[in-house]
Amino acid sequence: MKNKYIITALLIGSVVASGCKKDFLEVEPQGQTTEVLALTDASAANKLIGGVYNTLYLGGFGKTTVGFLWAVSNDVASDDADKGSTPGDFSPLGEIDNFTHTSTNFIFDNIWSGHYSGIVAANKAIDILNKSTIEAAAKNRLLGEARFLRGFYYFNMVRFFGQVPKIISVPLPSEGNSDALNTRAPVAEIYAAIIDDLQFAADNLPLKGESTTQTGRANKGAAQAFLAKVYLYQKNWQKVFDLTNAVISSGKYSLVTDYNLIFREKSVGGQGGNNNSESIFEVQTGVNAGENAVSPLYSNSQGARGRGGWNDLGFGFNTPTSDLAGIYEGGDTRRNATIIFINPSTPAPATGTVLWDGLRIPSKDSVENDRYNYKAYHSPTAESPQVTSNKDTKPKNIRLMRYSEVLLMYAEAAAMLGNADGANKLNQVRSRTNLLPATLSQANVWKERRTELAMEADRFLDLVRQGRAGVVLRAHGKAFVDGKHELFPVPQAQRDLSGNRLTQNNGYQ
Amino acid sequence: MKKAYTILKAYKALKKPLLIMKLTLVLMFVCTIQSWAGVNAQTITINANNKEITKVLSAIEKQGNFRFIYNSRLKDLKQKVSVSFTNALIKDVLQQLFAGTSLTYLEMENNLVAIKSVEADEIDIRVTGKITNSSGEAVPGVTVRVKGSTTGTSSGTDGTYALNVPDDATLVFSSVGYEDEEVIVGGRTTIDVTLKSAVKLIDQVIVVGYGTARKKDLTGSVASVSGAELAKQPVLTATQAVQGKVAGVQVITSGDPNALPIIRIRGTGTMLGGANPLYVVDGVINDDIRNINSADITSMEILKDASATAIYGMRAANGVVLITTKKGRVGRMQINYDATLGIKEASNLVNMAGANQYAGYANEASVYYGSGDSIVTKAQLLNGGNTDWYDEILKTGFFQNHNLSLSGGSEKINYFLSAGMLTDEGIIRTNDFKRFTIRNNNDYKITSKFKVSTLLSYARSDVRNVDLGAFNVAYRAAPYVPAKLNGLYGNTSLSNNVGNPILDQDKNNNSGIGDRFQANLVAEFKPLTWLTLRSSYGIDKNNFRSVLYGFKYANQGPDNVFTTSGSNQVRPNSRLTVTEVQGNRWVWDNTATMAKKFGDHNFNLLVGTTAEQIRLNEIGGSRIDVPEDEDQWYLNAGATLGATNVNSGDKSTRNSYLSRLNYNYKDKYFLTATGRYDGTSRLPKDNRWGFFPSVGAGWVISSESFMNDQKTFDNLKLRASYGKVGNDGIPSNAFTALATPNLPYFFNGTEVLNFRLEQLFDPQIRWEVTTEVNLGLDFALLQNKLSGSVDVYDRKTEDALVRIKTPTILGDDEYITNAATFTNKGVELALDWKDKVNNDWNYSIGANAAFNQNRIKNLNGGTAIPDGGVGGQGTTTLSDNGQPIGSFYLWEAIGIFQTAQEISGSAQPSAKPGDLIYRDVDGNKLIDAKDRVFQGSYQPKVTYGVNASLGYKNLDLSVNGYGTGGGKIYNGKKAARGDFRDNIETDVAKNRWTPNNTGTGVPRANLNELPASTYFLEKGDFFRINNLTLGYTLGSGVLSRVKMESLRIYATVQNLATFTKYTGFTPEISSDNTLAGGIESSIYPTTRTFAFGVNVGF
Repeated sequence: MKNKYIITALLIGSVVASGCKKDFLEVEPQGQTTEVLALTDASAANKLIGGVYNTLYLGGFGKTTVGFLWAVSNDVASDDADKGSTPGDFSPLGEIDNFTHTSTNFIFDNIWSGHYSGIVAANKAIDILNKSTIEAAAKNRLLGEARFLRGFYYFNMVRFFGQVPKIISVPLPSEGNSDALNTRAPVAEIYAAIIDDLQFAADNLPLKGESTTQTGRANKGAAQAFLAKVYLYQKNWQKVFDLTNAVISSGKYSLVTDYNLIFREKSVGGQGGNNNSESIFEVQTGVNAGENAVSPLYSNSQGARGRGGWNDLGFGFNTPTSDLAGIYEGGDTRRNATIIFINPSTPAPATGTVLWDGLRIPSKDSVENDRYNYKAYHSPTAESPQVTSNKDTKPKNIRLMRYSEVLLMYAEAAAMLGNADGANKLNQVRSRTNLLPATLSQANVWKERRTELAMEADRFLDLVRQGRAGVVLRAHGKAFVDGKHELFPVPQAQRDLSGNRLTQNNGYQ
Repeated sequence: MKKAYTILKAYKALKKPLLIMKLTLVLMFVCTIQSWAGVNAQTITINANNKEITKVLSAIEKQGNFRFIYNSRLKDLKQKVSVSFTNALIKDVLQQLFAGTSLTYLEMENNLVAIKSVEADEIDIRVTGKITNSSGEAVPGVTVRVKGSTTGTSSGTDGTYALNVPDDATLVFSSVGYEDEEVIVGGRTTIDVTLKSAVKLIDQVIVVGYGTARKKDLTGSVASVSGAELAKQPVLTATQAVQGKVAGVQVITSGDPNALPIIRIRGTGTMLGGANPLYVVDGVINDDIRNINSADITSMEILKDASATAIYGMRAANGVVLITTKKGRVGRMQINYDATLGIKEASNLVNMAGANQYAGYANEASVYYGSGDSIVTKAQLLNGGNTDWYDEILKTGFFQNHNLSLSGGSEKINYFLSAGMLTDEGIIRTNDFKRFTIRNNNDYKITSKFKVSTLLSYARSDVRNVDLGAFNVAYRAAPYVPAKLNGLYGNTSLSNNVGNPILDQDKNNNSGIGDRFQANLVAEFKPLTWLTLRSSYGIDKNNFRSVLYGFKYANQGPDNVFTTSGSNQVRPNSRLTVTEVQGNRWVWDNTATMAKKFGDHNFNLLVGTTAEQIRLNEIGGSRIDVPEDEDQWYLNAGATLGATNVNSGDKSTRNSYLSRLNYNYKDKYFLTATGRYDGTSRLPKDNRWGFFPSVGAGWVISSESFMNDQKTFDNLKLRASYGKVGNDGIPSNAFTALATPNLPYFFNGTEVLNFRLEQLFDPQIRWEVTTEVNLGLDFALLQNKLSGSVDVYDRKTEDALVRIKTPTILGDDEYITNAATFTNKGVELALDWKDKVNNDWNYSIGANAAFNQNRIKNLNGGTAIPDGGVGGQGTTTLSDNGQPIGSFYLWEAIGIFQTAQEISGSAQPSAKPGDLIYRDVDGNKLIDAKDRVFQGSYQPKVTYGVNASLGYKNLDLSVNGYGTGGGKIYNGKKAARGDFRDNIETDVAKNRWTPNNTGTGVPRANLNELPASTYFLEKGDFFRINNLTLGYTLGSGVLSRVKMESLRIYATVQNLATFTKYTGFTPEISSDNTLAGGIESSIYPTTRTFAFGVNVGF
């Protein structure tokens, strides 16, 4: 009897004790890279920086950095472009065109969120790079690239939204709710951070063509050019002059002789094409299996839109205005390189428009709008096709900084500083497009900027910088309100998430 | 054992073709066989005068030469004979002895003689009868057994039985919930039995976690639904059949053939990992029961409060649904066949404007309020059609369900084997679903102390899914565009930017095959009468292979498929995507149960452990340019260009220690104490373990002496419980940062794959804990005719895991953390009335209702969570403190501007007459984000159900319905206007504001999407007649002639009618998003099924 109880006790005991091994509950993530693995992966540093570059692809109708929504809303807000497409299509963009936009317009949320995605990716990469033990020179070069991109993104943000939260470290998620992060930093503080980043990049990145750099990576010239543009917005003419002068005197860049070739994918006779001689920084796209090495919809959204009966090129947004078409001086080759003009249907026979690759766009009866952005055109026949010919994922490199803009920044700074050499740089840009020399003045540089950089998402921000956005845009028939429309509203969704701690820009409250 | 074996051999020799069907008879024969030992002599001398054959045989045996084996019940053995032999041979003696009887014999080795009747069954008589309960209702499923043998059967759905038994047998009638009844046959062929109602309902044994309990023992809130009730309705999943039947259990179904119904027990108490309950099938935890054939279910128990659920600790926060499948019972083999055949259709659609109405609306909007141009030209209208896109995308679906089962058992083995086949074609074109199930549940009694059970089930599903976006597209597509003309598709994209949904259906094939195998091995050992040791190991293998093929089609040229070219709906290359997901789970439970009685003190103590591992593996890829031939739909058949491959996985583990004590004193006072210590790999190491205790008490007032004199109450019981349960239903790696891999970028013209560490996470997430208090009263009165219960509960979820939407300044949009408290408070009532009017008539009426109030507290340190994005309107819900989860947060539309004067002084100076007026809440003459106000949530304040049945002789009629009140639905498909040329509802087209139609609530023709407002928010109240069934059961007299036990035929309508003011498809929105559960957008409409069925028993 006694034995029976002992056995029973043992049996019950064994049931209770039949738990598992101590590490049974230690389960590592399956097949996924963790922060710990990232630190021990030899190629992790490069991959992390590559991940920041990848944020340049953010686009489509979603979060964006320099993609579709950013490009077209800047152009459409200016006098360069209209919303395009059919009248009712994509009213949020129409609101920007008409300056009736409010803080709930999702475009603002996606521009805000996309840029912060890029900034946070850079912060995280910088944080891990700082912890890693790779060789100092390589580390600084990679840090320079990450900080270049972060500075660039903040520069977009501060110009578009004004004050924005300054986040240049990796906060804990629980800190996401803190007052510090949910408060907009003064514009000067943001600019200081941008300058800090771009200066670090300029100091640590190699020159174009050096063995340690690759096509597509930010280099010293890119950092200096953007830093110059930052100082341009700060009206620090001497800095603009010095930095543009450094880029020019590096001798690494030159204008593409034929303006028509700048936005092509492939060079012609060594001129133009992707990453051409005047390219300082551009988004690198390509054909890959996943079709995700592009800024989605960037080209398609601006392609000529059909009215039925024609396999059109895209959505037809961001159409150049007649005002822009009329601003070019006679013989300026940039006019036809910037704008695809749709020909009228009458009188018959209508000839349509033949593009550089021989593709014929029908005349107006089959096409929705009168003009389209040539600079966003990607040839379906003569340039890299996507794997599935998916129109949404055309591999179009986006030019973000060209040498001609460096020359014009130099010219403007020189004009302000009274340096006569500015005229040479201004006329270097003009003579390329068969124009006669102009006299050096800030006004002439501004005029030149418009035609040279038309449809490159610069005009609206430039007008605001110049302080004459209201005057120009009201003359263009827009309901621009001074003291309000210089900035876009802080997205309401983000304000809600911050518990309204993010303040709103003037006039949008 | 050896002897039994020899005897069996002898019998085999006697009757060679041993049919399996006769197995029970064999056993019966073996059990009653007798044998005698003999000595060595060859001849027989005997004198007998008018003696029974048996006596003669035993006299021969006494001489020592021969042994006989025979069944002592053989009738002819009782015949009296007179014989006289001297030194006769055995064969001569027997020949004469058996002359004139049915007996034969066979000589065997060692002078053994087997005696058998040529008419084996002759000795049995056939007894039939009907089993009823005290209120005269037929009792199905009663085991009818011959006492002291294994012969048996069970009663059919009409309570009748038929059994061949010896005329002197004693029959034992037994059934759960009734007292055993013994009747001596005494040669009678008809025996009707009334089972005693002395056995109260509360003595029903029901399944609780890791064991069973009498209903009387419960201190928690548990509802039980019988399998027969579940199998009655023509639906896929058993839980669908519970709709409206259990107070406090809201079941939301979708018309989608293979959808898992959404279940909310006592409101929404969690946001993550699904607020769905835990399913436990035959003791094995589970989260998807779509593989369970309802016909295989014995009963379903729903555990609602913490006292009942706490034994499931970390998994129990949303309640527990226990499902017990059928097992064989000792007795002869029973064969059942059920079939249901029917058709399905959409129960409600929305009337869209026809071509002319559409053109009128669109052109008015454009001409008066837009560019001035007509949107639809006269030519387009004249040359076009008048398409009802819903007609085009929908179909009438066929539904059928067949189930065949065999069950039975003997002393050593009980078996249940069933096969089921279900087809549900759905109601949208190209949709299809088929399911085949097979289940085998066996019990093996190895010794009286040791039992092994196996539960095996396999389910195969073949599904063809459809893009539910078609419902949205059909809503938007312009009606003048023909769907299809001369084999070409109408080009909808030219007229309003949506693709032709028919073309989309035809040019996509999204099929899948699911294989789900569940196996559970249970060993039960009872070393002592009071101790049961049980070990159960279960595996669950769930594989799904999906093949998505997108056909190539062009918008111009020779491959053009459109009536007019230039569509932006085009697929230049075919694309094949193959994905295979393999789920592997194992669960190992070990428990010891000790049951002891000390005088009036009854103790039942359970201790145990459980461990679980879940692994998921997904592998797949996609290729372009795969040939159209279905036999070529493999990755190898495609181009290498653009090929993608994926392979990912997931793994998580759980480990728990559990204990429960049930105590009662004199069956009057009850106490249940439960504790469970849970660990999960889904939480970080330091926060991994949680303890979940509960305690419950019950008092059967009706058993007190002071209640002896009263006649009103048959049962009156008070219950109270308190306990904590947890929830770990979050993704496996929520507390670590994971890289987003394979992010391309081009350097030097070459693709490089990169990663980003961008996932936000909380490294310190911890258990979400729900504390629940429950107070309940069960009662039965008027001879148990009226029974019911009342429960009051207060459920509080603290440290709730929520997906916090963060400002995007942190990069990611959201992350998971413990940042909220939710409360659900409510009352549940259930009442049932059952009565028998006379022998022909009986009826029952039941009703239940549950009132629940859901509130958020302490959310995210004060930041509300917006959700429910609709089109370009932005978010429509805000989950904020003091509000129910997923509350609508909208502008309030308070009317329509009639004149310019009204507008000029208003907060909307740019409005036009005919526009909606929004309430300027803060009175700042500006309608902005601050003017949004809370407008209630999708969560109903009350859910209720009613059911009634009526029986007249062999006819039965039953009806049940359910409804909800107090919930709101946002008509998202109406609100999201993707394009200014989208179609509108007939009601909008007809009743829109115009200067000549000012007295309307519908705003003017509009090109743009209207902002989110209460204009689109509607009451979600509804009442649905869910099921109406009329059945006829054939009498047993007719059936016995065709060798059937029972036969019932019936006609049923599922979802007969819904009464609601909601104008969309359905006010039942089947959404797992707790933060935005009530937005109608691209949902599968609810369906109505008309079906006929038959149940046959053999």
